[in-house]
Amino acid sequence: MHFTRKKRSLNVNKSLSMYALLIPGIIFILIFNYLPMYGALIAFKDYNIFAGNNPIDAIFKSEWVGFKYWRQLWAESGFRQAFRNTLIISALKIGIGFPIPILLALFINEIRGIVYKRTVQTVLYLPHFMSWAVIGSLLLSILGTTGPVNAVLHALGFGGVKFFMDSSVFPWVLVISALWKEAGWNTIVYLAAIAGVSPDLYEAATVDGASRLQKMYYVTLPSIASTIMMLLILRLGNLMAAGFDQVLVMYNPTVYATGDIIDTYVYRIGLGQLNFSLGTAVGLFNSIVSLILVTTSNLFSRKTFGRSIW
Amino acid sequence: MKKKLPLREKIFQFVNGLVFAILGLTMLLPFINLLAKSLSSETAVLAGRVGLWPVGFQTGTYRYVLTEPQFIRSFCNSVLITICGSAIAMILTCMVAYPLSRGWLKGRKFFILIFVFVMLFNGGMVPTYLLINGLHMLNTYWALILPPAFSVYNMILLKNFFEELPESVEESARLDGAGNMDILFRIVLPMSLPAIATIGLFYAVGFWNNYMGGVMYITDPGYKPLQQYLYELVTETQRLQEDMITGDLNLDRDAINMVPDAIRAATIMLSSVPIMLVYPFLQKYFVKGLVVGSVKG
Repeated sequence: MHFTRKKRSLNVNKSLSMYALLIPGIIFILIFNYLPMYGALIAFKDYNIFAGNNPIDAIFKSEWVGFKYWRQLWAESGFRQAFRNTLIISALKIGIGFPIPILLALFINEIRGIVYKRTVQTVLYLPHFMSWAVIGSLLLSILGTTGPVNAVLHALGFGGVKFFMDSSVFPWVLVISALWKEAGWNTIVYLAAIAGVSPDLYEAATVDGASRLQKMYYVTLPSIASTIMMLLILRLGNLMAAGFDQVLVMYNPTVYATGDIIDTYVYRIGLGQLNFSLGTAVGLFNSIVSLILVTTSNLFSRKTFGRSIW
Repeated sequence: MKKKLPLREKIFQFVNGLVFAILGLTMLLPFINLLAKSLSSETAVLAGRVGLWPVGFQTGTYRYVLTEPQFIRSFCNSVLITICGSAIAMILTCMVAYPLSRGWLKGRKFFILIFVFVMLFNGGMVPTYLLINGLHMLNTYWALILPPAFSVYNMILLKNFFEELPESVEESARLDGAGNMDILFRIVLPMSLPAIATIGLFYAVGFWNNYMGGVMYITDPGYKPLQQYLYELVTETQRLQEDMITGDLNLDRDAINMVPDAIRAATIMLSSVPIMLVYPFLQKYFVKGLVVGSVKG
């Protein structure tokens, strides 16, 4: 009897220190994550920053107005435009940016010299670690009117292209530059999956007389198919994230028609024009759509492939 | 014993290698062009005559940027934010990941849920801004250090890594009377050094590259991080180019703000130096660290 009691108290102590470790993290997310979720209620209020002692207190004290801002939102052409652009840019980024890393990984895997392979990987991963502020200024410098890209276009007899001011070109600048920055890095997951493919499969294929391309198509690709499907579904769940950091540094009023996305719209309306309630309503709309997309895609992934992010 | 490669194989290797050499060049050439511009005379840059080699070589741009007070101030701010931020982030992340990695902890599922939920849903930019404002953190280093100081995604990566550690070591330590803290400091952390290094470097790169925090919360030049300084250079240049084309250019106002291209190039080069310095370490660790999280079924 003594023994069990002692063991139980030991167990409680054992857990106590663990819960103590969790406290700072929980306080952190309560303040920085859950409090803003509560604050999002001002999408249904007429937020007045002077209604309380400080901006947080004012959240509680502002008056309820129901769906006033939600109706206003759909009347704003700027919002509808940003919503449409978000979907278009995101769809282009998935359509182009998703398959290319798979192709790259398949072919990187076929490089024979280990040193050359490492070098290629090192170089392709590099832009991922640069911020969009750096890449944005880099692009402005090379795609600008006096930059080398336009110099080459002129030399070849094409007219110059205003990459940052032509609204029919700008979405492509976003899509291609995001591809350039992230495609190399996104091969990592596939390369890891390819490294796990059993060598026996390749040997059997060789015995059967398969060529290299046949092996890539009939052995490697099917072996990583489940990884591909899972990542695709998760990527689709992030449809509403069209690249805030990137667009904010690269866009300007001349390309709002095709380049303004929901996040940049919220930034301008909410923090630029200080229209807090409307900005919050747009942000909350975005968060709700994202939540639905992510949970649905994750559920689908778990049901179909038995794999999910949580 | 080396087998002679068939001709087809040789051709494939050559073409494949060549394609990746070209792809690699597209990654490097923009940076080389920028480096060349930063070392060229402004007239050559404006005339678009600079390719991959400096025209009218000079190093005055670097001298200029390195003596520009705002650049130095912002650079130091970024160093401070990156060091403090990564340290706080790593401590918080380890403190959460360790308890959540122990299967026997009561209520573990519930705690994981409240952490994972913040990955799925957020209050949005405006309420977060009001919070930072309400906490009197606008125009302080805290606005740049605290909000990004905990990433649930990184915590999950680390938790998964902790779960993979062999249990036998821990069990025998428990028999010897070791408590949770002994196990954390003597067993779990030392055995997870590659994962901790990887995640620490990810945090550091994240802090260094974060310009959004500055753009949203900082207006006082004394606290601006380097990336915000760069962001403002870019957007200002864009605005001026636009004004030039639309004919709105106001020479009295804009001539003062005009930053020469060569100086802009030097600023970008210098702000990328720290990333270049840690890049070899990132290379060494990140594959190991990432594989843990991504391949877990």
